Amino acid sequence: MKKQSVGFILSVVTVVAALVGLVGYLINCGTNYFANLGVDSAVVGCTVAAIAAVIVYVVVNMKGVQTWADVLPVVAAALLMAATLLLVNTRVNAIAAVMTFENNAKNMADLVSCIVGIAGCLVATIVAVISSFFDTVKE
Amino acid sequence: MNTKKSGRAAQRRWRGLTTVMAVLLVIALVGQVMVNGFRTDIDKFLGTQSSIVVTDDSVSADDLYTYHSDYNSTKELLDAIEALGEKMSEEGTVLLKNNGALPLTQEETQKVSLLGFSSYYPVMGGDMGSSLAVNVGTDADTVDFVQALNAKGFKINANLQQMYKDLEPYFVTEVASWGGSITYTRITAPSIGGVFTSMEPSQAQMAETNANWKNELKNDNVMIITIARAAGENKDYTPGVAGVNPEQNLNQTDPLGLSDDERDLIAAAVAAKEANGGKVIVLLNNASALEIDEIKNNDGVDAILEIGLPGGYGFYGVADILSGAANPSGHLADTYAVVNANSPAAQNYGNFAWTNGNRDWSMNSTLVEAENIYIGYKYYETRYMDSVLGQGNATSAVGSTDGKAWSYNNEVSYPFGYGLSYTTFTQTLDKVDVDVNAKTVTATVTVKNTGSVPGKAVVQLYVSLPYTDYDKANGIEKAGVQLLDYGKTKELAANESVTVTIVADMQNMASWDSKADNAAGTKGVWMLDAGDYYFTIGNGAHEAANNILAAQGKTVANGMTEDGNANNVKTWKLANMDTTTFSVSKAGVAVENQLADMDLNYWMPGTVTWLSRSDWQGTWPKTYKDLTATDTMISYLDNDIYEITANGDPSSVTFGAKNGLTLADLKGVSDLDDPRWSVLMDQILLEECMIRTGFGGTSSKAIESIMSPLTIQNDGPNGINSYTLGQYANTDKNSGDPCTTTADDPNLSYKFGTMCNETVIAATFSKELAAEYGRVIGNYSLWANLTIFWGCGNNIHRLPYNARNHEYYSEDAVLTVEQGTSYIQAGKEYGCIIAPKHYAFNDTEINRTGISVFMTEQQARENELRGCQAIVEDGCLGLMTAFNRVGIITANAHTGLMVGILREEWGYKGLISEDFIMSANYTVLKEAVLNGVTMTCNTGENSMEAVSGKWTYWTVENVSKDAKLMAALKQAMTWQNYALANSNAMDGLAASSTLVSVRTWYDNVITGMQIVFGVLTLGCAYMYIQSLKRKEN
Repeated sequence: MKKQSVGFILSVVTVVAALVGLVGYLINCGTNYFANLGVDSAVVGCTVAAIAAVIVYVVVNMKGVQTWADVLPVVAAALLMAATLLLVNTRVNAIAAVMTFENNAKNMADLVSCIVGIAGCLVATIVAVISSFFDTVKE
Repeated sequence: MNTKKSGRAAQRRWRGLTTVMAVLLVIALVGQVMVNGFRTDIDKFLGTQSSIVVTDDSVSADDLYTYHSDYNSTKELLDAIEALGEKMSEEGTVLLKNNGALPLTQEETQKVSLLGFSSYYPVMGGDMGSSLAVNVGTDADTVDFVQALNAKGFKINANLQQMYKDLEPYFVTEVASWGGSITYTRITAPSIGGVFTSMEPSQAQMAETNANWKNELKNDNVMIITIARAAGENKDYTPGVAGVNPEQNLNQTDPLGLSDDERDLIAAAVAAKEANGGKVIVLLNNASALEIDEIKNNDGVDAILEIGLPGGYGFYGVADILSGAANPSGHLADTYAVVNANSPAAQNYGNFAWTNGNRDWSMNSTLVEAENIYIGYKYYETRYMDSVLGQGNATSAVGSTDGKAWSYNNEVSYPFGYGLSYTTFTQTLDKVDVDVNAKTVTATVTVKNTGSVPGKAVVQLYVSLPYTDYDKANGIEKAGVQLLDYGKTKELAANESVTVTIVADMQNMASWDSKADNAAGTKGVWMLDAGDYYFTIGNGAHEAANNILAAQGKTVANGMTEDGNANNVKTWKLANMDTTTFSVSKAGVAVENQLADMDLNYWMPGTVTWLSRSDWQGTWPKTYKDLTATDTMISYLDNDIYEITANGDPSSVTFGAKNGLTLADLKGVSDLDDPRWSVLMDQILLEECMIRTGFGGTSSKAIESIMSPLTIQNDGPNGINSYTLGQYANTDKNSGDPCTTTADDPNLSYKFGTMCNETVIAATFSKELAAEYGRVIGNYSLWANLTIFWGCGNNIHRLPYNARNHEYYSEDAVLTVEQGTSYIQAGKEYGCIIAPKHYAFNDTEINRTGISVFMTEQQARENELRGCQAIVEDGCLGLMTAFNRVGIITANAHTGLMVGILREEWGYKGLISEDFIMSANYTVLKEAVLNGVTMTCNTGENSMEAVSGKWTYWTVENVSKDAKLMAALKQAMTWQNYALANSNAMDGLAASSTLVSVRTWYDNVITGMQIVFGVLTLGCAYMYIQSLKRKEN
C-alpha cells in the first residue's frame, strides 16, 4: 500500500461512485414510476466499461507503470460522462413530470434512486477527470 | 532523476488535459443527441427556430394573413386585458351579505383597516396551473389588493400594514419539494394527502408584534378582513378534521372551514366596531366553496363579498365594488354548504386504493361517484323539495349536519346562483314557449331596476322535470330544479325596464334513460317524461325551487324556508313520454349507451347502490373502498387492450403520394368532406403519422410532406401563460403580418397568466364577458403567434375539496358549457384554438394518473359531459383528454367516450392531445390513436428510432401490416391538420411556402464545441506523446 499514490485513491472513489450510480440507475429502472422506461444498455455499457477501464488501469500500474495504459483514464472519464448524459436524457421528461404534474410521495420516492444514479455517475466522472492528473503508484 | 520525474509529470499533465478535453468532447457529442431530442422545447425556451417557412415574395399579405387583430399595438392589447380583468371582478364578485354597509362612502374609503394576512398577501392564482404571472414594467402591470386600493384612491392604515409585514414569518408556507422546499408568503393548498395549516396570525402574535394594533381601528374603522384558501393543480383538500393539521388546536373541523385564529380576527373587528363604530366587511378569497355559516350569522359582520381568485387586475374591480363605482352583479357558481363533508358526493372522496393495484399500469385507486346526478344544488335543492313534498325519506337524519331530521336551513348557507346588488330588481317571467320541433325553450322575462342606482341583473331560467313512477322503476333520477339557461341585462338605470329573451337548448332538460330502446336498435336514449314541467326564474336555485313549490301549492306551513312566487312559474305538459326527439344527435347519429362499463356494477354486479331521490335514506352512499379488481377487469387495467396484428389490406391506406398539395391549399376549408382533404392526406408518410401522434407534446411539429406548420401549445386557463408575449412575436415589419412588434417593445416580456380564475368568470353569469375573454385571447394569440391554448377547464366542481376547482367554472353543467362555448367560439374568430379540458371526469387530483372513476351513464351525460357537449357541437377545434380512467379503461382508450360520444354523437373533428402522461404504458398510444387521439404529450427526437424507443411496439414493421391502425393514424392526422388549417397557425403560409431547416445559434455553438474540443483532445494527446518521447530521450 505504501506504493499507492493519490491517483489510486481517486480511482477507487471513481469506481465506488460509478457503482453507486449504476446500482442507483438499476434500482430506478425497477421502480414503479420509471420501470416503463426500461434499461438503457448504453448507460449500463458505458458505466461498466468505465469501471473496468479504471480497474484495469490500477491493476496494470500496480505491476509497474505502463504507458499504453494511460489511455484508460481518458476512456473511463469519457464513458462516464457519456453515461451521465444518456441517463439524464432518458429521465428528464419523467423528472419534470414527477416534480410537477405527477408530484406525490410515491413518485418522489422513486425519483430518489434516479437522482442517486445521476449523481453517482456525475461524481464518478468528475473524480475520474481529476484522477487522470495523478498516477496510481508512486515513482 | 529530476528529468525523469519532470517527464512523468508532463505525461500526467497532458493525460489529464486529454481527459478533460475528451470529456468536453463527449458533452458536445452527446449534447447534440440531447438537443435533437428536445429541439422543440429548447426552441420554445430560447425563442429560436430550427425551421422556417419561406414564401414567395409575390404572395400578397392579404393572402398570407387571414386573421386580424382588433388592436394596433401591444399596448392596446394589454390595456384590453387589464380592463377585462377589472371588469370580470366587477361582475364576478358576489355580494353575499349586505346590511347597507356597502358601498362605502368616499369618506369611508379614506379610513380602511385591512385585516388578515391574506389582505396583503392574497391568493391571486393557483399554486400550479393557472398561477399568477406577475408583470412589472409593462403597460399592464399586475396589482395585488393593496396596490389596487391605492390606485383607486383608498387610504389604508399604514401601521396595520407594517404589522402584517412584521408578521410575515408567521404565515410563510414551506411547500415540500425534492431536495428542499418552496417558500410562499401566502396561504397554499395542501399537497395530495396533506393537511391544511391555518396561517392566520393569532391575536397573541398580533399583539406581540404591535401591542396597540386595535387602537388603529378607532379611526380607521372600515375593517376589511380577507379569508383565503388557495387552489392548485395536483393539490387537494381532505374533507373534515382529517384534512386539518393535527398539530394545531384551532377548533377547525374542515380545511374549508374557519380556524379559531380566523374567528378571533373577525371577533376582534366586530368588537372594535361595537366600541368605535365603523364597518366589518369580509372578503372570501377562494375558488373552493368555504364553510361560512358562522360569518353569515354573525350580525357584527356587515357584508360578505366572494371575490374568488381575482388574477392580476381583478382587485381593481373589487375596489370598485367596495366604493360603489361598480354595482355587484355576480352570482354564486357553487353551493355554499354549511358542512361540505355532509354531501353525498363527499362520502366517496379520497384515496381508495385497489387491494390488488399495480403501479406498472398506473392502477392505483377508485372513485365511485355514488351520489349519482346529485352534486351541488341538484342535491340540496332536490332534497329540500322532497322534504317539503314529504317524499323519499328526505327528512331522515342521514346527511344532516346536526344528526337530526334533515333541514335545508341547517345545510346550506348560500345557494347556487345567489347574489345581491346595491339596487333591487323585479323579474317577471312573462312567457315560456316550448318548441319541441325546434328543440328550444324560449323564455321572456321583464326585468326592472326598482332601486336607486344603476345595475345589471342576471336572469336564471330553471326547470323542474317530472319524477315519475317510470323513473323510479328504471333508475332514472331527476333534479328537483336545474338551470336551463341564463342571461344578463345591460346596466339598467333606476326604474328602467328591459325584456330579456332566453332561448334555451331543450336538450339540457332531457334525461338519459339507459334502459329505453333507441333508434340504433340498442338501449339508451335521451328522454322527456310525460308530465308537468315547471319553468321559473329566481335569484339562485333555492328561490327557483321555492317558486316551483309555491306553484304546487306549498307554503312555509309545509316546511318551506320562505314562500315562493307562483306567478313566476310557467308550466308545460307533455302527454306522453318522448324518446324520439333527442334520439338522434345534432350530428345526425342515433344515440345509445356508451358508458355502461362506467357503472361498477357492470363489472362487479350488486356492488354499488346509486343514490336515488326515491329513498334518500335507503340509498345514501356508503364509502366504496378496498375494491378488488377481477381478472377480467385486470385484462383492461393493464392498458394493453389492442394487439397490433396483420389485418385488412395495408395497401388500401395510401401514404406518400405525390399529389402536389400543401396544407395551405386547404386554409380555411371547414368542410372535411371536401375531396381535397383526402388528396392532401394521401401525401403524408406513415412514419410522420407515427412520430407526430407519439411526440406531440407542447407543440405539434411541422410535417414536411403536407407543409403543416409547427404549432405552439400553451397552458391556461387564466391566460396564455406558457410563454412571454415576445417569445414568438413577429418583429419582421416586411412580413406583411398585421401584428408585428419591435424589439424595444416593453410588452414583449409580458406573460398573460393574469386573468381571474374560471369560477369568477362563471359567477359573472355573463356569456358576453366569457366571449370577451375569448376575443382577448384570440387577439393575444395573433400577436404572440401562439395558436393552441389548453385554456378552457370544463370539469365539474363535484366537490369543493378538489383544489383544482379554480380551473373549472362551476358545479353546474349548463353554466359551465354556456360560458365555455361563448369563450371558445369568440377565440375561434381570431383563429385561436381554445381547447376544453380534461375530457372527461377529471374530478379529483388524487391519483389522477390512473384513478378509476365509476358512475352511472345518466350521471356522466347530465353533469360532466353536458358541460362539454355544446362546446364540441358548436365546433371547437381542440380538446385535451384526462389523466384518469373511465371506469377501468384509461380515458384515451375508452371507445364509448372517445369515439361513440365525442367523434360520432357530437361530431367532433378537431385535434386531441393527451394530458401530461409520461408513462409509455399508460399513454396507451396504439389504443389512443384508434380512439381518435391525435397526439400524446410526450416529446422526442424527430425519428422513428426515438418514438419506437419509447413505445417498442410502435415500429413501421409492426404498424405497416395493420390496416386498421394505419387508417386510424391517417384519420388522426387528418383531424389534427383540419384543426390547424382552420386556425391562425396558417397565417404567413401560402400554397407555395416551403419549410426550410435552419441552424440555430446553439447548433453552431455545439458544432463549434465539437470541433474545438476534438482538436484540443487530439492536441493534448499529441502533447502527451511528445512528453513521452522527451522522457524517453
